[in-house]
Amino acid sequence: MNMGGAIRAIISFLIFVVLHYTLRPLLGWRAPMDFLILALLLASVRVRPATAAVLGFVLGLISDSLAPGALGAGAIAMTIVGFGASYLKAVFFADNLVLNAFFFFLGKWVFDILYFIGEQRVHGVELLQQLLLWSPLSAAVTAAVGVLLLFLMRPLLEPSPA
Amino acid sequence: MARALRSNTRFDLIVLASCFVLALAARALPDSMREPVATGMRRTFLAPLVMLQERAERGRQSLLQADAKQSHLDSLSLASMRAGELEVENDRLRKLIGIGSRIRYGFIPAEALHGRGVRDETTVILSAGSRAGVSRLSPVIAPEGLVGVVDQVDPTMSHAMLWTHPDFRVSAMSPDGTAFGIAQAHLSSDIGSTLMELRGVPFRATLKPGAVIVSSGWGGVWPRGIPIGTVLQEIKTSEGWARTYLLRPAVNPADAYSVMILRRERLAKGLDGVWQNATQVDQAVQRIVVSGDSAAKAAALAEAAARRAVQDSMARANGAPPLGVPAVSPVDTTGRAARAVAPAPRPAPERRPTPVDTGTPVRRDTIRRDTVRRDTIIRTDTIPLRPEAHR
Repeated sequence: MNMGGAIRAIISFLIFVVLHYTLRPLLGWRAPMDFLILALLLASVRVRPATAAVLGFVLGLISDSLAPGALGAGAIAMTIVGFGASYLKAVFFADNLVLNAFFFFLGKWVFDILYFIGEQRVHGVELLQQLLLWSPLSAAVTAAVGVLLLFLMRPLLEPSPA
Repeated sequence: MARALRSNTRFDLIVLASCFVLALAARALPDSMREPVATGMRRTFLAPLVMLQERAERGRQSLLQADAKQSHLDSLSLASMRAGELEVENDRLRKLIGIGSRIRYGFIPAEALHGRGVRDETTVILSAGSRAGVSRLSPVIAPEGLVGVVDQVDPTMSHAMLWTHPDFRVSAMSPDGTAFGIAQAHLSSDIGSTLMELRGVPFRATLKPGAVIVSSGWGGVWPRGIPIGTVLQEIKTSEGWARTYLLRPAVNPADAYSVMILRRERLAKGLDGVWQNATQVDQAVQRIVVSGDSAAKAAALAEAAARRAVQDSMARANGAPPLGVPAVSPVDTTGRAARAVAPAPRPAPERRPTPVDTGTPVRRDTIRRDTVRRDTIIRTDTIPLRPEAHR
């Protein structure tokens, strides 16, 4: 990735982070979209796995700092998701919106599974309900929003011509 | 090439393991250490994000409460629209209660029902009739002063002629008794009958703008002392033998909704001091408050004391009790107590005929200032007679 592409990727990353802390609480949905996961996935496919793991770790700590009771759970989940997304980019990195939507859906759902298991706050039926109902719904919303933003921000996210 | 790939993969795994271990360590931190770490992050580099989130939360709360707030605002707007009317009505009723407590007895409260026709500008229907004690030629007054006179009486309602009526006349004078005349609607004015005029004032008597004009009590219809209006200016008329003054009326009939009808038996007692006590003392006190100057305070207090002294002396000269001394029970509105306490009427001296043609001429039972004996006048530079002095 050249310098221009890196700057545009950073700008896109920051836009997603800002959206996570503005649009998400403004909407206040029961199954919210996760812009941090979108930012992590879009960044991870552009960097090597080690960098993606560090990025995931930092993003996880940021999200955990607003929920101190679960400090570390988000970091674990995002580290794994970021590393996995970067490691599997050869599989998923394709200019196909449906594939990208599935990529976002899977990334969000895996994150939720890791997060809620690592958080250890909900148990039993409630955990199952969260992981099998609300998390897939949230992942679907995240995937839809991710595809929409990908479409809108295509000029920023496309690699510049050599 | 293969070695480089393996090296990179190993590096990635080492970084992954490091991040994983660090995250596990963060997760394993005790609560006492977890909170300071999170707080430190929130207060430093995450502060802008926290601020953004707070604003977004507030925005969401505002959006959620917008409908409730709007409905609340609508309710408040409706209430505030009515508040003005209620304040005006409240003020009017307070004045009515205040004037009623000063008149004490012999009046009938009534609602004035204004018509909307052209002729209705000069007449009004009152919600009290003969069953309530209203009789023909009963005076109609408002807290501000004179309104009109009853000209037709039904059992449950009555019809009153307002002062704006072309046929309305009332004998008037200045409160100090130096000028007399006949007050009527100023019909020749370009602005209709919203003003009054005081006709037939002797040439030797001059009135300054702002002087209050009250009913004189001559004619037997109107008791003495009801405010009619204030002098605006002298106007020129074809009558060369007397002065004519333009008056600003005390009451705008269009604003009179709650009025009082005076009973016939109340007329003989007069209404001296009912308005003067309240307005003049209030004005003096208000001047004291507004001025804030010691000299002005002293002057206003002296003025108030002098006025009280004059009122007391005039009240005694008229046979009424001095200011502040109740003549009858406040709850007695029938006049029986007044008759029991009132002094016997003195023989009235022969006087010039009343200028108001309202039926049988009635002599004044009060004494004009210029005919009062010297020893009955209290000098205004002496200490006024206080109600407490009668104890």
